[in-house]
Amino acid sequence: MKSLFKPKPRTPVDVVRQTRDLLIYTDRSPETKESKREEKQMLELSKNVRELKSILYGNSESEPVAEACAQLTQEFFRENTLRLLINCLPKLNLETRKDATQVVANLQRQQVQSRLIASDYLEANIDLMDILIAGYENTDMALHYGAMLRECIRHQSVAKYVLESQHMKKFFDYIQLPNFDIAADAAATFKELLTRHKSTVAEFLSKNYDWFFAEYNLKLLESTNYITRRQAVKLLGDILLDRSNSAVMTRYVSSRDNLRIVMNLLRESSKSIQLEAFHVFKLFVANQNKPADIVGILVTNRSKLLRLFADFKTDKEDGQFEADKAHVVREIAALEPKGP
Amino acid sequence: MKLSRLNSLRRVQSGELIMKFPDDQDESKRPQFPLDSSCYKIIDEIGVGVSAVVYKAICIPMNSAVVAIKAIDLDRSRADFDDIRREAKILSLLSHPNILNAHCSFTVDRRLWVVMPFMSAGSLQSIITSSFPDGLPEPCIAVVLREILHALTYLHDQGHLHRDIKAGNILMDSNGSVKLADFGVSASIFEANSTQGVPISPSSTSMMLKEIAGTPYWMAPEVIHSHNGYSLKADIWSFGITALELAHGRPPLSHLPPSKSLLLKITRRFRFSDYENQQNSNNKNKFSKGFKELVASCLDQEPSRRPCADKLLKHPFFRNCKGPDLLIKTVLQGLPSVEERFKLGKLQRLPSMKMEEEDEEEIEKEIIKQRRISGWNFKEDGLELEPVFPGENCEEDECSIIKQVRFGGESIMEKGSRDSSECCSGVSDLSSPTGNGRRGGGEAEEEAVDRESIMGGLVALKRSLDEQRRAVGSLIELIEGEKGGEMSREEQIGRLMEKMTRELENERKRNFELEMELEFLGLQISAAHNTGAA
Repeated sequence: MKSLFKPKPRTPVDVVRQTRDLLIYTDRSPETKESKREEKQMLELSKNVRELKSILYGNSESEPVAEACAQLTQEFFRENTLRLLINCLPKLNLETRKDATQVVANLQRQQVQSRLIASDYLEANIDLMDILIAGYENTDMALHYGAMLRECIRHQSVAKYVLESQHMKKFFDYIQLPNFDIAADAAATFKELLTRHKSTVAEFLSKNYDWFFAEYNLKLLESTNYITRRQAVKLLGDILLDRSNSAVMTRYVSSRDNLRIVMNLLRESSKSIQLEAFHVFKLFVANQNKPADIVGILVTNRSKLLRLFADFKTDKEDGQFEADKAHVVREIAALEPKGP
Repeated sequence: MKLSRLNSLRRVQSGELIMKFPDDQDESKRPQFPLDSSCYKIIDEIGVGVSAVVYKAICIPMNSAVVAIKAIDLDRSRADFDDIRREAKILSLLSHPNILNAHCSFTVDRRLWVVMPFMSAGSLQSIITSSFPDGLPEPCIAVVLREILHALTYLHDQGHLHRDIKAGNILMDSNGSVKLADFGVSASIFEANSTQGVPISPSSTSMMLKEIAGTPYWMAPEVIHSHNGYSLKADIWSFGITALELAHGRPPLSHLPPSKSLLLKITRRFRFSDYENQQNSNNKNKFSKGFKELVASCLDQEPSRRPCADKLLKHPFFRNCKGPDLLIKTVLQGLPSVEERFKLGKLQRLPSMKMEEEDEEEIEKEIIKQRRISGWNFKEDGLELEPVFPGENCEEDECSIIKQVRFGGESIMEKGSRDSSECCSGVSDLSSPTGNGRRGGGEAEEEAVDRESIMGGLVALKRSLDEQRRAVGSLIELIEGEKGGEMSREEQIGRLMEKMTRELENERKRNFELEMELEFLGLQISAAHNTGAA
């Protein structure tokens, strides 16, 4: 039946097996030596990876066939092909790396008998994440490993592992790597980790509140790098405004230090940062149980804040923003200093 | 079985083809450019866009290698940050001799610096404007097109669309190498074609209009039609338009304002004769049959009938195609430097274009917005872009204006299509359309009536009015131009400027009125909204 649609001599299983054999060979061979034979093997490997890709994504002549994809996926994860592929990736040429990345990305979504078997595989081989994350330290590999990583953390268990690992701390530095493309890729992964799986994120933030937000404030919100601050304040807003993180939000907006940092961001000359900072600032103001020191700061800065908001506008008309602003202004204007 | 073997054979071949390039310029073997702005010394400005500036610079630690730096203002750039990231990534993962990729990119305060190889001859568009106003010789066109097809084959093979193929995005180096540039980060942020100057001939008012419009002339009909239904074949269309641009010195229909160009594009196939209205008839047989065939196949209304890039490479037109040496000999000889051209263009623009420039920015921004957001903003514009129905009786501008106002909040596509067909008919008469208009409004979707859409419709309307004014202007222009063949150039330019001043004045008035109306309607709508909510 299948051969009707894809009249090919090799089955998807054959392609996976041959790829695996070639990967084993490549994995063993020393890195530097470049004999004719190895070159040929490499070419063969490239072709096989491309073949895998075209089975999974289809090509100009045909759409992907569900059954072929399932067979491929099953065979791929039946043995340790993914580990081999990740290990050998630095030895492959650029085009094959890109193909391999796309293959790995696709496999994370393939269901075999309505199960994501990639997730099972990764749970059993979770240390692969260590390799992928460390990829951010390697300029040549960062974008490939980074893209694979982002696909893998679609699985909740994998995201949980990464969140709770020591790697999480490294992201604060990866985000600020000098290479823009790599830093931006790390930032995208960081954002995905902190927004995708709600319950996992909420649990992580509650357990790791102290160190996480200390780092977040110091390294990201108070960074000297414009783009870091801009992305960080945006993400902070996304995190705090998410319902599942309400406990974390309440805690965050009760801290005087946090308020100081956010108010500094409000004063920035960049419109984008100001605007994102406002969405965090409004949470401090809207808090029904404002601690005395928060009220104190707001009262002390009342006239400055009101003046700031008086000509605070979005580029495009934004009803929600105007409503929020009016609310904040009313709230601040009505504040009375608390306690002694 | 036979077929399958053929297939796999071909796959093997293409596989090998692709593998060849990365070996030469594997990432690891590429020189690492420093990620620190102090390592670069800026020499000259060579381009400006809405939120980006392009510099010629040298990289001091790299033996003072000459580079181009595109400095994008991230705070001003409206693009979603995720888009910038995605595109920066694409840019650094592409590796092909006919694609201009980045050496590196890093942030310098609020700016993103993208460091790229410096292509000393600049864009084909600027080369044409400066030295080949009537187009390049056909053998040169062949070389350029072949190189671009190599780039497209590679890009498409990876599933990337360029989406903005035009002579302005094709760069040439002093060694005659040709590279496709400006996808990714730059796609719509930067326009390298600021060198278009002051009117030289009657028809060149359109040159300015062209610049104002930016990209629409190159857009495929299906891109104009819908935001979700276009594919790699849209690039093939733009490639075809680019071929015409190289052949004639400007894209087809560029004597019309962009909206009309879009419109006519949907209604008929291009023919070389489209140019003959404006050009001397001795040009008629300037181009070979092969070239005409090639272009015609790219400009098929039906995307699926357009050949793909690697198929085009096998077209007989490229059979006797020369190497890049030809470009060095024919095109690069005596060409002013990129910097000179940029400065000249800037100077020429200053006196007469002051006001226009602002408009241009706005429109450019508009385009950026549409390209980025994808949503139904695009469709909104679609209201101006629907096909002509040859049978229909039509009146001129005023009537369609009224109608467009009326459709405002309702089914935008349907009515819009009729309206625009009406308002364009005057124009299409002139260029004698073949009129095989196809009804393309079928995909009209009902959009919920909301405030935003109404405002959007009004804004689009306002723009279309502006453009219609220009259309009429350029029509008058054309007709007058024919009459006044004897006039001296000074006279022509003088009259042109006079007319433009008048037009500008009128437009300002018009704009003001429309703004008032917009404001008023906006108020009404919000009032209605509020009472509705209450």
